[in-house]
Amino acid sequence: MKKFWLLTLSLFLLSTVLLTGCGGGTPAPAATKPSVEAKEVNIYTSRHYPGIDDAIYKSFTDKTGIKVNVIKASGEELLQRIKTEGASSKADIYLTADAGNLYLAKQAGVLQPFTSPALTKNIPADFIDTDKMWVGLTMRARVLVYAKDRVKPDDLSTYEDLTQPKWKGKIVTRSSNNIYNQSMLAAFIAMNGETQAKEWAKGITANFARQPEGGDRDQAKAVAAGKADVAIMNSYYLGQMLSSKDPLEVKAAESLGVFFPNQNTTGTHVNIGGAGIVKSAKNVDNAVKLLEYLSDIEAQQKFAEASTEYPVNPAVEPSALLKKWGTFRKQNINLSKLGEHNRRAVQIFNEVGWK
Amino acid sequence: MTKLIRGFNETNIWNLLAFLIVAATVIPVANLALGVLPGENENWRHIREYLLKDYVVNTLILFGFSGLFASLIGVSLAYLVTVFDFPGRRFFQWALILPLSVPAYIAAYTYSGMLGYTGIITRALSGLFGRDISIDIMSVPGAIFIFTFFLFPYVYIISRAFLAKYTASLIESAIMLGKNYTQIFFQVILPVSRGVIASGSALILMEVANDYGVASYFGIDTFSIAIFKVWFGMGDVGAAAHLSLYALAFIVFIILAEKAIRGQKRFAIATTKVRLLTPHRLRGAKAAIAAGYSMLVWSLGFFIPFLQLVAWSALTYEEVLDQSFLQATVNTVFAAAFCASLIVCCAAIITNSARISRSRLVRTAGKLTAVGYSAPGAVIAIGVLILFIWLNAMTELFWSYSLITSIYMLLFAYLVRFMAVGCNSLENGFEKIGKTYFEASRTLGFGVTRTFFKVDFKMLLPSMIGAFSLIFVDMVKELPLTLILRPFNFNTLATKVYEYAHDERVHHSAPVALIIIAICSISVYSLSKLDKE
Repeated sequence: MKKFWLLTLSLFLLSTVLLTGCGGGTPAPAATKPSVEAKEVNIYTSRHYPGIDDAIYKSFTDKTGIKVNVIKASGEELLQRIKTEGASSKADIYLTADAGNLYLAKQAGVLQPFTSPALTKNIPADFIDTDKMWVGLTMRARVLVYAKDRVKPDDLSTYEDLTQPKWKGKIVTRSSNNIYNQSMLAAFIAMNGETQAKEWAKGITANFARQPEGGDRDQAKAVAAGKADVAIMNSYYLGQMLSSKDPLEVKAAESLGVFFPNQNTTGTHVNIGGAGIVKSAKNVDNAVKLLEYLSDIEAQQKFAEASTEYPVNPAVEPSALLKKWGTFRKQNINLSKLGEHNRRAVQIFNEVGWK
Repeated sequence: MTKLIRGFNETNIWNLLAFLIVAATVIPVANLALGVLPGENENWRHIREYLLKDYVVNTLILFGFSGLFASLIGVSLAYLVTVFDFPGRRFFQWALILPLSVPAYIAAYTYSGMLGYTGIITRALSGLFGRDISIDIMSVPGAIFIFTFFLFPYVYIISRAFLAKYTASLIESAIMLGKNYTQIFFQVILPVSRGVIASGSALILMEVANDYGVASYFGIDTFSIAIFKVWFGMGDVGAAAHLSLYALAFIVFIILAEKAIRGQKRFAIATTKVRLLTPHRLRGAKAAIAAGYSMLVWSLGFFIPFLQLVAWSALTYEEVLDQSFLQATVNTVFAAAFCASLIVCCAAIITNSARISRSRLVRTAGKLTAVGYSAPGAVIAIGVLILFIWLNAMTELFWSYSLITSIYMLLFAYLVRFMAVGCNSLENGFEKIGKTYFEASRTLGFGVTRTFFKVDFKMLLPSMIGAFSLIFVDMVKELPLTLILRPFNFNTLATKVYEYAHDERVHHSAPVALIIIAICSISVYSLSKLDKE
């Protein structure tokens, strides 16, 4: 038996020696702090605009003394983490870049209702969940981006028009795995019914210039490259290309125009980045304070300028670039619908072969 | 008699330790797979009708071609740099490991940037031919390209070490028997090194199996993507488990294939006379071809994307680099070094007991760790999370410490993920050592444990350090586990890259990507130094 202890001891020694030898020693610092302080708020966020968000959190901390703790990952992953953690979750706020995910969180029962006078003042009712489970903070439009030299704005009218045979081989958009496309189709299901929505998806798939690949920027580039004439994409990414440091990218973006479809019919599809308060949150008051701050003029202005999104607060003007693209009429549906029809949207995409 | 009992007990202790470690790494995934009965629900029918065929076909194509090309390139280069002397050989010997320092998702973003409309390659081609020419990298062949050129070093490293040390006499005999070098490659080298090729390509295939970044960016439906989509998107754990069973079948196939290929004939070289080969000097056109081939592979797998990242960094580094990167670098290096050491120790226990045990079960136990390496990161993450929530509930009664917001959860997940890499490397190490010394030592009365430390340890040390470097590199690049399981405000370099890349700001992610590559390169370089000794 002596041998056994000798063995265990030597193994431990070995690992310690190896550890110190390799500079390991202690596991990474700044990781484990007991959360005894109440002056903090914990966010799970899928917004990943480094710099911008961090700066906004910092000025919130400077103002209120409330520390903001952040974990960033994709919206789906974080939701799964919150669901799995259940009551023991340390998350106070779930912040994500899509209404679909907020709906899924609400459905999963991990959010709680909240409200405050400041929030209802800052955020229009359209952008607040019917059960007050979440609020929208930023908005983006899913627009048509076209090649200025080949397409006249007069040729464009609606999303539905893009299923016409004249657009055969001329449309690009990203894969149906992407939640922006899923939410767009979900909106069509909500407004036009399932049959029409499926027809639409089928028609677009038939007009693809290529199989969906890459991100939204890649769609814009495909149009600039002449591989397609029209891309269905978020306004946000074109804005980013225009402010890129790479002159070629700016030039490519400048050859493209932005068109807001369905102005005379159902309106352009919009989606939001928004946040909900987690059911098991320990710092609800701080969470509300932070959301108030994020929807207030100061933070909204920063969102608008830095990330080319539309502010939800009507008191704040969009950035100069967005103003240049003009105002538009948006789809008139409650954004909860995007989540409600998400599953059916995913199925329809698969059924019509939209990769 | 007492000696016998002690020996028996000792073996048991080794086995027990090995068993515990393997169990700890398998439980998180097994827990998920067994806890959920795969259901024949509506989602599953939908998947079967519309998607399953694509998943299977795509995954098989990626497996087949990436594995084949990467093995061919890896072995042929290893043969080239060990058997021949040509200009640049000394440099390529270690530099050809460098592609391993580039995370596959960064390679994918970089190449699609270069080949996109505004990309430098597209511009150059258009300038050259006067019209727009573009290569579509975001496709299945593109993904095969990325996997091939950034994963082939797994085969290269392992077969070079093997060739350099153990085939000198074979090659010399073959030459005396009148074979030329091409014949030797196909008739001697390929057959004798099939074991190491199998083990190298098993690592490659598992990396391909767990890949999420490349496939999702390129829009290719693989099993990893499907599991993610069904579980996280549709919220259907049952259908995800069903898919996982299919994925698991692939992995079991890989493991069995590897075993079959290398198991038929044990090729242990238990000799003290490790004779180094005197390289054959190439001249003229042949030398140029050898140098050109090495240069081409190195450029595609490292140098070209590296240059592009440097160029992008020049545009953005002022905007991107700040204080937080120092912290992220420290976090990355410490976590990687800590876990890599721990994994090497655990893997030594597992592989040693597999070697000394007569039980088939123990022998194959190490192979089970492959589950952790080949499952999609998101799946492991949730498996580990469930385990820790359970642990947390147990400890909460007497300990107020919250395990699920601690770094330990993430560190444990790393162990689950990379144990297979450690086992794989050390298994090869043990195989090279053979069993004769072990048996001699046992005959002379040393116990199993004493034999390990007095006899095997020194011979195994190079393999252990090699395993450490490999795991370290893998860990620095690791993304999905870190994203989901990290504690608040904990960043690594990989998560920093992700933040920009996910927002489609590849230029901004370049400076951080370069830091990752630099750190991995140091590890890779030391790996090559080690091989030389």
